Amino acid sequence: MERASESSEPVLDAKSQLIDFQWKLGMAVSSDSCRSLKYPYVAVMLKVADQSGQIKNKFIEMTIPQFQNFYRQFKEIAAVMETV
Amino acid sequence: MAAELEGGKALGGLLSGLAQDAFHGHAGITEELLRVQLYPDVPADEFRPFLEKMRAILKSIASADMDFNQLEAFLTAQTKKQGGITSEQAAVISKFWKSHKTKIRESLMNQSRWDKGLRGLSWRIDGKSQSRHSAQIHTPVAIVELEFGENGQESEFLCLEFDEVKVNQILKNLSEVEESISTLMQPA
Repeated sequence: MERASESSEPVLDAKSQLIDFQWKLGMAVSSDSCRSLKYPYVAVMLKVADQSGQIKNKFIEMTIPQFQNFYRQFKEIAAVMETV
Repeated sequence: MAAELEGGKALGGLLSGLAQDAFHGHAGITEELLRVQLYPDVPADEFRPFLEKMRAILKSIASADMDFNQLEAFLTAQTKKQGGITSEQAAVISKFWKSHKTKIRESLMNQSRWDKGLRGLSWRIDGKSQSRHSAQIHTPVAIVELEFGENGQESEFLCLEFDEVKVNQILKNLSEVEESISTLMQPA
């Protein structure tokens, strides 16, 4: 697992830039522990450049409710930014 | 079969223990622990096949994600089998599944997710101001912190900076995702 620093706390000063955003809507059909999974999920690939310019891909998976919250948060960000 | 095994009282506790072990990743729930805690008067060699029978039934129900009709049909068939379950036990199992189904399903979903899952999102807006001669230019910047990680692993954090242009780009992408979700969720 990659980390920005050795400590377990988020390094809030080390901001990265998002270079690219790719997404996939998948459906988990079944698995060895559950033959009837049937759940949709959103997988995103974030291509980010850290402060040194190094580019990395980060993969994150979300359930549909998590994605909807993610989307809602970004809409809120946009709304607040307009007022600043 | 020992009389204690036929009753339903300790069965609820047994099913909880089995679920903790099989689905919720709780370590240390051994056969011996369950026997001593729930069926102390039953000898180990009698308890073992009973435990395996209940484990197999719970796994079948969870694996098929049975709805209540399927559950009733399945449990009725189990009561009619040679070496199956009693109707009292069927009632306990039915009650257990109805109250734990959602949580068990969530654990099964988490177990099958091998990529990093999103755990948290927080953000703030900074207003960067620049002054050129007398003109003040305010450029809002969004700082977004994402927390994510694999099952049972420590979180990884990602701190991203967005200007308004980037935020709108992301929103466009996200609205495409939402459109896809709506299409998927439409009744066939």
